[in-house]
Amino acid sequence: MATAVTGSETASVHESPPGELETYRYDDGIVRMFAWATVLWGALAMLVGLLIALLMVMPKLFYELGPNAEFLSFGRLRPVHSNAAIFAFAGNAIFAGIYYSTQRLCKSRMWSDGLGRLHFWGWQALILVAAATFPLGITQGKAYAEMQWPLDIALAVLWIGCFGVNFFMTLARRREPRLYISLWFYIATIVTFSLLHVVNNLVAPLGLWQSSPLFAGVQDAVLQWWYGHNVIGFLLIMPFLGLMYYFVPKVAERPIYSYRLGVAHFWSLVFLCVLAGPHFVHYSAMPEWLSSIAMLFGVMLWMPYWGGLVNGLLTLRQGRQTGITDPVQKFFYAALVFYALATLGGPLLSIKSFNALAHYSDWTIAHLHTATLGWNGMLVFGMLYWLMPRLFQTKLWNPQWVTLHFWLATVGVLLYIVPTYAAGILQGVMWQSLDDTGRLAYPDFLETLERTIPFWWMRLIGGSVFFLGAVMLGLNLVMTWARKPAVYDTPALSAARIGRGDEPAPASLTSPLADKPVLEFAKRLEAWSRFGWHQRWERRPLKFATMVLLAVGIPSLLALLPVFLVRGNVPTIDTVNPYTPLELVGRDIYVSEGCYNCHSQMVRRLVPETHRFGDYSQAGESAFDSPAQWGKRRIGPDLARVGGRQSSAWHWKHLEDPETVSPGSVMPSFEHLLGRELDFDKATERVAAAHRMGVPYDRELDEAPELARRQAEEIAAEIVSQGGPVKHGQLLVLNSQAVALIAYLQRLGVDLNRPAEAAAAPAAETTDTQSESVTE
Amino acid sequence: MATDPVNPVGDELPPNGPEYDGIEHLDHPPPAWWKGLFAGTVVFSVLYLQVFHLGAPGRSAVEQYDQALAENMRLQFAEIGELRPDEATLVRMMNDSRWVRVGESVYRTHCVSCHGIDGGGLVGPNLTDEHYKNTRTISDLLRVVQNGAAAGAMPPWRDKLHLNEQILVSAFVASLRGTTPSNPRGPEGNVIPPWPTEVAEPEAGSGPAAAPQADPAQPTAQAQPAS
Repeated sequence: MATAVTGSETASVHESPPGELETYRYDDGIVRMFAWATVLWGALAMLVGLLIALLMVMPKLFYELGPNAEFLSFGRLRPVHSNAAIFAFAGNAIFAGIYYSTQRLCKSRMWSDGLGRLHFWGWQALILVAAATFPLGITQGKAYAEMQWPLDIALAVLWIGCFGVNFFMTLARRREPRLYISLWFYIATIVTFSLLHVVNNLVAPLGLWQSSPLFAGVQDAVLQWWYGHNVIGFLLIMPFLGLMYYFVPKVAERPIYSYRLGVAHFWSLVFLCVLAGPHFVHYSAMPEWLSSIAMLFGVMLWMPYWGGLVNGLLTLRQGRQTGITDPVQKFFYAALVFYALATLGGPLLSIKSFNALAHYSDWTIAHLHTATLGWNGMLVFGMLYWLMPRLFQTKLWNPQWVTLHFWLATVGVLLYIVPTYAAGILQGVMWQSLDDTGRLAYPDFLETLERTIPFWWMRLIGGSVFFLGAVMLGLNLVMTWARKPAVYDTPALSAARIGRGDEPAPASLTSPLADKPVLEFAKRLEAWSRFGWHQRWERRPLKFATMVLLAVGIPSLLALLPVFLVRGNVPTIDTVNPYTPLELVGRDIYVSEGCYNCHSQMVRRLVPETHRFGDYSQAGESAFDSPAQWGKRRIGPDLARVGGRQSSAWHWKHLEDPETVSPGSVMPSFEHLLGRELDFDKATERVAAAHRMGVPYDRELDEAPELARRQAEEIAAEIVSQGGPVKHGQLLVLNSQAVALIAYLQRLGVDLNRPAEAAAAPAAETTDTQSESVTE
Repeated sequence: MATDPVNPVGDELPPNGPEYDGIEHLDHPPPAWWKGLFAGTVVFSVLYLQVFHLGAPGRSAVEQYDQALAENMRLQFAEIGELRPDEATLVRMMNDSRWVRVGESVYRTHCVSCHGIDGGGLVGPNLTDEHYKNTRTISDLLRVVQNGAAAGAMPPWRDKLHLNEQILVSAFVASLRGTTPSNPRGPEGNVIPPWPTEVAEPEAGSGPAAAPQADPAQPTAQAQPAS
């Protein structure tokens, strides 16, 4: 990156007294770097997205690779796609936009060039390593927090130590007394994501590339969705609203429509967003009051979301007699329209009865891509087209392509989301429909899958069109960069240094009641109602950040603490025992393969669901599930009660080639597990680690390998007697890793109906769990 | 915003506060619909909590599920009540196309992954031909459904399905006999005599059948008095 850094700012400016003019130059080099990274990683995220979309319609794409296909299985690639989209594409775009706008809004160069570059290169290295670990099966098994603990620490250091410090120090050195709206959103992003990231990733390391969360079951699930919802809220909504508030008035060359709407929707967003997370698990084993809070906060979020929409659209539209012709403005306009759709979908999804239909289905995928492609994508494209001539100080290489790209992107998003929303509704209806006899209308899960596949093809076309547009942007970027001047012009600017909090009240705060015969109190009230208090906060970044922390922290604590401290919220079940050593090892395989990307483990309290999958899941059943694997999607069926529903030999064949037992299945083959030897000795440390987390193990601590081997022998004997093989290649079935996974699967959901130890007499057989409901 | 001289702001309001890097803000009041809807969602939330969490009993998710399930069970089985797990019932149900359809629904939910969509067999045996592995009489079908067979290759469904479902799926499987699947698995086991066409109903209230769940381990014993 060619930068003409003169470093004139650092010398002796901070000693100058308030009011004295200081000169400074902006550092656009760092913006250029992040802009390049945005485009490169964006293309990669979309490519991996296309690849996994292709895998869903052509699950045998990599079958020729044999066991090597494991690195390219859907469960391992899906986190590459989602993490690349969030942290690499959206992340770098946020940094580019923030580094550009913060300098200008603060009339100051970024505090430290070095820290900025450390942030840049560290972040790219982090993404590279993460993208390499997921295909290797290294994952924490939590949605959008798949990065293993060393990467989490690196991310925290980069986010807080480099980005956060650089940002807040720039605010501290600013030459603009008040913080503009964009900066509020940046502050909220930095503060809240730090909190979410640190709390959700509290784990006990088990070696370098494995870990165990500090919490299990309901508690871990609550954290996962507190994080999962807000990582979207505070990485895909809040910072992009900040960028919107800067770039929309810049691009449209119009003032922001309403300051007070900005204040109102900013604070209501910050306050409400953090508690909407548990709506991911309505009708589940989550305490019901938390589910209701999540729904209501989600519903109340609708207008706070749309406050940004109103401000953005009316800023673009105000005073216009004709339509928008500038293609860059069109990008922002389209982004806001898709924002409207995405932020309508969120509150809708938080409503329990709608969630019952749409959750676990492709509807959520359409919803998320309305946000990432439509809102984030379009906004970033608009921002980059506006920035390119300014960053490279030359004309845009091909302005016609901007219009063409706009239409490709718009058509691409629509071709993606319309079939996907439709597929989601179709899936939801098929899964939840009962016929006139009260039976499932679509009893065969595979049939519902089969009917979705045409929509997946359409979505693939939409995604490809969108990708094509992004490639055009990339070409425009390269060609514009090629025409850059030999040396960038970095003009020296000057502004007065500001004092610290001792400025007079701003002119806008002088009340129209000032010279009216009213009480002093009325004047104060009038100033308060016009957000005079807020204008004071805007002069104190640290106070502002503290208020944001309180606004997100207090509701989080109020909602989360009872789940962790009040026993009644997580009732235990006597018959639910810890996993055996072999099952524990099998569970690690389940997590590592990313099975949760396609399978949920949560039968909700809905009659069609219990007809299909068995009794609804109860809180105590996942008491030893760390991390919880409740899942968020059902490309395949729910597995919460899969134990005992198929034979072990069936599972063996199913893992080897799913289509032999489930014709039409899109599940990848897990043949690599069949042929890989299980290290029974590993069970010892796994059991010890679980024991440290409070799992009541006793003799398992000393005899883990023996116990594991004995259970593996039992399962292998079952497989053989049920008509399965004795060996897979050279490897005895009993030594295969697949046996551990099968042991885990066969255990899922069976403890609930297991007779309690005390009443283990043979006569005490469990009664059918639903029979008592038949009356008349 | 001096950059837009044609139509400065199109607005009557003066800028509120300073300009930031050339950006000004106006201070329009938020649109009335925005304020109204926001207030509406807050009011809705208060009412919702009142109705579902502080109101009358019977509104929690568990209670609502129980009500829905009871309603569903009535819809499904009010007409037949609790079926008795005996040969007569199986034969009667096998010959009643309405109830065979219910059995088919159970089959398609839980059985297709081993026996195939049309009963032709996948990893599990073909259910349409004259050969049976663990079955000699029609009651044995129910016994296999309940207790499993072949060292667990056929898992037991006793505690996973409603007794009526167990009986109806057995009746459906019995009705599969003699159909022609698209891709049948070869014959396994022995040829057994055809199903009885009609069996006299046992006296109501007599024998262990009156308490069908009493000893689910031996459902065939319950069927004895009938034959």
